[in-house]
Amino acid sequence: MSAPGAIAATSIGPRRRRRRLRLGRAEPLVWIAPAFAVVAFIFGYSMVELVRQSLEHDGRWAGLENFRLTVTDPTFQTALEHNARLLLAVPVLVLIALLLSVLLFEALRGWRFHRVTVFLPYVLPIPVVAVIFGQMLQLDGLVNQALRGVGLGSLAFDWLGQPSWALWTMTGVIVWKELGFGVILFLARLLSLPGETFEAARVDGARFFRLHRYVTVPQLAGVIAFYVVVEAITMVSWVFNYVYVISNGTGGPGDATQVAELYIYQSAFQYSAPDLAAAAAVMLFGATLVLIIVFFRVQRRAGFIAAGD
Amino acid sequence: MTGRRWASGALLAAGVAAALAVGASASRGSAPATAASSKAFPTGPVHLTMWWWGEQEAAGAKKWLADTVALYEKKHPNVTIKTVLQTTNGLVPAFKAAAAAKKGPDLQYFWGGIWSLEDAWAGSTKAVSDYIPKSELKHYLNTAEDTYNGKVWTAGWYVQPSFPVLYRKDVLAKAGVAPPATWKQLLAACDKLNAKGITPIAGGISDGWFGGWLYATIGAQGIHSVGDVLGAVAGKKKFTDPAQAAWWTRLQEMRDHNCWNKDINSVQLYQGQQKWSDGKAAMTVTAGSDVKKFVTQVGVSKVGVMPMPKWGTGPYAGRLGATSQTVGITAWTKYPQVDADFIMFMHTPERMTAFFKKTGAFPADDRFNTKLITIPQQKVLFNLVKNGVPYLENFIPTEFDSKANFAEAQLLLAGKIDAKQAADASEQIAARIRRTNRDLIANFATWSKSYK
Repeated sequence: MSAPGAIAATSIGPRRRRRRLRLGRAEPLVWIAPAFAVVAFIFGYSMVELVRQSLEHDGRWAGLENFRLTVTDPTFQTALEHNARLLLAVPVLVLIALLLSVLLFEALRGWRFHRVTVFLPYVLPIPVVAVIFGQMLQLDGLVNQALRGVGLGSLAFDWLGQPSWALWTMTGVIVWKELGFGVILFLARLLSLPGETFEAARVDGARFFRLHRYVTVPQLAGVIAFYVVVEAITMVSWVFNYVYVISNGTGGPGDATQVAELYIYQSAFQYSAPDLAAAAAVMLFGATLVLIIVFFRVQRRAGFIAAGD
Repeated sequence: MTGRRWASGALLAAGVAAALAVGASASRGSAPATAASSKAFPTGPVHLTMWWWGEQEAAGAKKWLADTVALYEKKHPNVTIKTVLQTTNGLVPAFKAAAAAKKGPDLQYFWGGIWSLEDAWAGSTKAVSDYIPKSELKHYLNTAEDTYNGKVWTAGWYVQPSFPVLYRKDVLAKAGVAPPATWKQLLAACDKLNAKGITPIAGGISDGWFGGWLYATIGAQGIHSVGDVLGAVAGKKKFTDPAQAAWWTRLQEMRDHNCWNKDINSVQLYQGQQKWSDGKAAMTVTAGSDVKKFVTQVGVSKVGVMPMPKWGTGPYAGRLGATSQTVGITAWTKYPQVDADFIMFMHTPERMTAFFKKTGAFPADDRFNTKLITIPQQKVLFNLVKNGVPYLENFIPTEFDSKANFAEAQLLLAGKIDAKQAADASEQIAARIRRTNRDLIANFATWSKSYK
């Protein structure tokens, strides 16, 4: 059975070698060319078109006018401010995820159940989460009914209907949803650490706070940095679904939950202003690109993924 | 998972770029629609798609449309029509996205006026008057609001009396309150009902749309003609002018007299209306096409219908807006003549009768047999709409509607701003639209000439 194959391989071998010699250093480029062409077409062409459109109005050259109009739009400014405010959720996420992962690591009673409970929100589809929270957080929704039921009626706010509360409430929903990712990430790292390190610290008299402050956190530094960058990108350019579903596509009340992604969507597909949408998209892409660069730098510095731990 | 996330910005940008790029190149390559298109009915297989909306405000329309398509397909075995019911928030963006790609439905549902003309100006629709004979089109109601440069761009499907106030006779009687006909009476009724622990009017504004309704039903009373509003959009007048801004003061008065349900800002329009059906509020504002549903739910003897109580002295004060929800032919359809034929089929006497029986909404056609109207509240509504006035929300840019009426009404009802701030913000928004959307404003300036 193997003989013909062996003969074929032998006969093909010299020909292959000859071709390789002819292509020389260019051979890798030839192999990646199809994939490169696809990526260049999907991203490259789109990006060129996006930038072109951001510099035109009705097909005519407009220079930076679209950028000027977008930057001076109070709604866009508000959207950016809200994206910036959402970034405040990142340290909160890190702290809570750290605390929960440490508690789960310390084999808290019923830790298997808690681990599933904490991770479950992360795998739920965002629209489902947003619809459910949208209902629960209405003035007469489940949350306020529960608060009134336990005598805390004074805390029953119009969580999503009041402009001053809406963004923070939405931030809370995002934190609830995103937390599971951080917990699992941190826990995975903790479980991969050598137990002797913790034993040694305990033998030296380190109690819970000192142990985790001076032993656990430094060991988790790389993963924490990774999580921070990923969540920062989320807050800048991955919150559209939450805002769209919770605010019924308005970014309201008023513009209380307006964010950059929704601004782009509304400009392009509701207000027939594709050139302004393109300008805003270029700016958002720039901001995301900065975060992506930070992400790769962090990844390279930490080196934990490449190292496989 | 994480890989998807860090690339999200790039993907969003690329997605927007792709949609815009496809639209740009398609629009460069498309030829203008002309009346000279072949009007012969094709004999080969024809597959049409219709994106529509309306089940939300004319319950039963879905079944009626399915029946109508089945009957039409039976009549024309070579034609198949697929219908796709859109969500309220998805109707406009889905079509704009389709228009950008020049690919999507053959027939599209449009609300009247600007909701239809904005897409006509963008070149996304063909004028129905190019395909439907004049002798037929003259029967369709409210075509004036969908007419621009002498062409009718979309064809009325059903009339939308916009928007009546429904009151519960039983609830008002319990509080010893008569149905308010004037603004003063309305505010007094709010006080009295509140004193009895009854919510005066139920509504929901978290999805924004109710802001547009309030603008039209309250705001129309202060102006002298639609031309005032079109002029303000074009910059010849201002939204801070007393006639244009007074409605914000009226809305503030309603807020200050606690006329609305406390959770108006946290519930959607239909959720708010449900409170009225449940007997938790004395009044609500609803789509005229939906009146039958509400009357049937609550009981014929318990419901009254009236226009928004009167405060203004203008020609529109104390009258109901009349508009038609329409169907248009898209610019990229291969079979405009079949699209038009289907629209005309929707207007056949048998189909109109079936539509009214199924939904309780009035077909937008003067050949509709009005003897079919038997529910007293619908008779009142029909008389109001016969004497109806232009529906104001259909004469402002949709961007202005969203950013000014929807958003500022939410803020005002939440107590964050007062009437003056709302009017100032509206004018600032209009000024910005004038700067950024020059083509639209030029069209408004032309449009305003028809309404002097």
